[in-house]
Amino acid sequence: MTISGLGPHGERAAPPERVTLLPEDRAAAKARSFRVAVVMHTLDSDWASQQLSGMMGRLGDCGTAVTHVIDCAFSPFAQVEALDRLLSLKPDAVISLPVANEEVAFAHARLTDAGIKLVLLDNVPTGLLPGKHYGTLVSADNFGLGKIAAEGLSPYLPQGAEVGLLGYAADFFATNERELAFTKWMRAHRPDVSIRQDAFGRIDESARRTEVMLTAHPNLAGLFVVWDTPALKAAEILRGMPRQIPIATVDLGEEVAIGLAQGTPFAIVAAQQPYLQGVAAAQTTILTLLGRPTPAWIALPGIAVTRSNVVESYQRIWRKPAPQSVLQAVGLIR
Amino acid sequence: MQQGLTETTAASRGKGRPRVAETAAPSLVELLNLIRADDPTTRQELERKSELGRAVVADRLTMLADLGLIDESETGLATGGRAPRLVRLVARRGRLLVATLDQTALGVGVADLAGNLLTEHHEEFELTAPPQALAERLTTLLRWSLERQTSPAGLWGISLSVPGTVPGTEGDFLTKTPPALPAWEGFPLVEMLTRSFGVPIWMRSSVDMMTMGELHAGAAKGLSSMLFVKVGRRIGAGIVSEGRLYRGALGATGLIGAIPVNSGDRTGTLDALAGSDMILREGRLAAESGRSPVLADQLHRGGEITAIDVAQAAQMGDEAGAEILTTSGRLIGQVVATLTNTLNPEVIVLSGSIVQTNDIILAAVREAVYGAGHPLVTRDLRIIRSQMGSSAGLVGAARVGAELLFAPTFLKEWVMQGSPLLHPGFVAFRAGLESTPSPPVPVPPPRRGVP
Repeated sequence: MTISGLGPHGERAAPPERVTLLPEDRAAAKARSFRVAVVMHTLDSDWASQQLSGMMGRLGDCGTAVTHVIDCAFSPFAQVEALDRLLSLKPDAVISLPVANEEVAFAHARLTDAGIKLVLLDNVPTGLLPGKHYGTLVSADNFGLGKIAAEGLSPYLPQGAEVGLLGYAADFFATNERELAFTKWMRAHRPDVSIRQDAFGRIDESARRTEVMLTAHPNLAGLFVVWDTPALKAAEILRGMPRQIPIATVDLGEEVAIGLAQGTPFAIVAAQQPYLQGVAAAQTTILTLLGRPTPAWIALPGIAVTRSNVVESYQRIWRKPAPQSVLQAVGLIR
Repeated sequence: MQQGLTETTAASRGKGRPRVAETAAPSLVELLNLIRADDPTTRQELERKSELGRAVVADRLTMLADLGLIDESETGLATGGRAPRLVRLVARRGRLLVATLDQTALGVGVADLAGNLLTEHHEEFELTAPPQALAERLTTLLRWSLERQTSPAGLWGISLSVPGTVPGTEGDFLTKTPPALPAWEGFPLVEMLTRSFGVPIWMRSSVDMMTMGELHAGAAKGLSSMLFVKVGRRIGAGIVSEGRLYRGALGATGLIGAIPVNSGDRTGTLDALAGSDMILREGRLAAESGRSPVLADQLHRGGEITAIDVAQAAQMGDEAGAEILTTSGRLIGQVVATLTNTLNPEVIVLSGSIVQTNDIILAAVREAVYGAGHPLVTRDLRIIRSQMGSSAGLVGAARVGAELLFAPTFLKEWVMQGSPLLHPGFVAFRAGLESTPSPPVPVPPPRRGVP
């Protein structure tokens, strides 16, 4: 396993095998009938669905009931409210994806203070420490995802080209890492390329920011968007433009997979493994509830997906057959 | 505003009495540091602790509020009568950039004036890279960190944690790059950062910074004594006594890696016989000889073996890896036991990537210290692993930056101006830099946003 990034506190990554459950762990968990709540940034994405799918299956294997699955719709306010509500409901553990930094830090810390075990996904608000305020962070190797995107987009960029980077304006560990890795790789391997940056604060702003960027820099030869949902909005804008440019993004959602298979507008996708990440988060939660030590940061490597491996990558990531339109686009069926 | 206020106040006083501008600075410095130390506090507390009169305290607090350094908008709990106004430092008045330069990683962050870390990022970086590459990456990351901040607060200083001893005087800002690393000899890192960011630069050893981080936000928060031990290629210790970091005569304390130890029939320094170079070397040998199936498999697949890999293999049950780490832990434990008997700390905090990846070094150190420690010294002693990781260095850098920014000798020169960037010595230093030929400057990073 190759992990490029460091954890939120500079930790070295531990592989998901570190939280393998033994038969006796499952038996012990079943005997205690734990209750767990899940707090997500959104439920409206393929990534979130797969993550939940992995979690639910493994928690179910361990006789653990998921009592709440909360959609925060990317709102720090909604997340604080949800976490405060969970405080009074007292689940044994909460698996949460913090949607912001400072705004949600105390609400998460309060759970731990109340004796509720906390496992984080993808982001750690600054100031929260593993072992003190939360047990473990489970995330993708986001730095590695940014590198994959840069490396995959590079062949499409002619000498001296300009490339757009559409980032996320929130202070969020995962997207920060992707953005920094993309620019670092370009500087190191394509110093001839100029990077033009912009950022969206909400997903519905991403189309507008893409338009602004393309107007200010009409010669962009490629675009990196830090995850797939805003990348699809950017793709819509590009479709209305006279000149098409390749897009690199993170996460192999269904629509992105179709675009990748068709060869436009997506050229490279740095894919997370949300199902396996969900499984790892569930196993970490079970071990934490059983009082077993868990590492501060568990990271899953990213997968570089191009048109040539989109079908098998889709199967691997989503645990289901690739859509008919993908299979048709790559010529596997008529 | 500050100038006008000073003159108005001075004009209302009797002829022959000194102007406020000449006399206010010491009391402003004293009050501001009392507010920082006891945040929030009340006017009554400030009068009691400073032994200044009510009118003087009121006058100075007005000045500090006009400078935007304190806030009195909140009220505290009433203890009979009117609820007192709370006096707080406006920690968001300015920002500090902080960075940790480690042997294999670079960390950056943004902190407020109270030394609270607001954001952080860590990435791999080999410190053996040319200093120009380091300066470029550091500048890029510092700028990126600053641009992520939505607050309009200006930048007031940069505090750096470096893997070497940094001699220095309290209250000074750096005017040249100390030779903390051999590769930096003659490389103007401090000068380049001052030119790029236009703020004072401070620098301390990473062990000092991490110790400060653990003292203020980690395992030793609220304690008055601690022994901090960082295990890496070098092994160093930080000493906290009576709630303060002990820095010795030249800032060169805790160099325990230079202490001679014996391992089997070998004699060498603790660095050589227990540091990460030893762990890596022995790990490679175990892989090549097949003693470690996990590491041998990794080598067979063409993977690089690092000291972290050895530590992770040990944690996952690899016997050869566990043996290597136990050897390291026992040797470190022997030295730490001696220090423990000398210093009688409340807590010993072990840190560094290798310690944080596995439990074996911690267990070996515990065994050695509890075995060799005086019963009184070990009775209530806790030996733990850091929970802060590399964040300790950034938090420590933030605390050190805030302390040096408000150090009386430095503060008295800028408090009347309202910003450390107007400190006369710093203004002169910057002017001197501007008038001398500029060294090669790192390529500026792309700016966020479309113009």
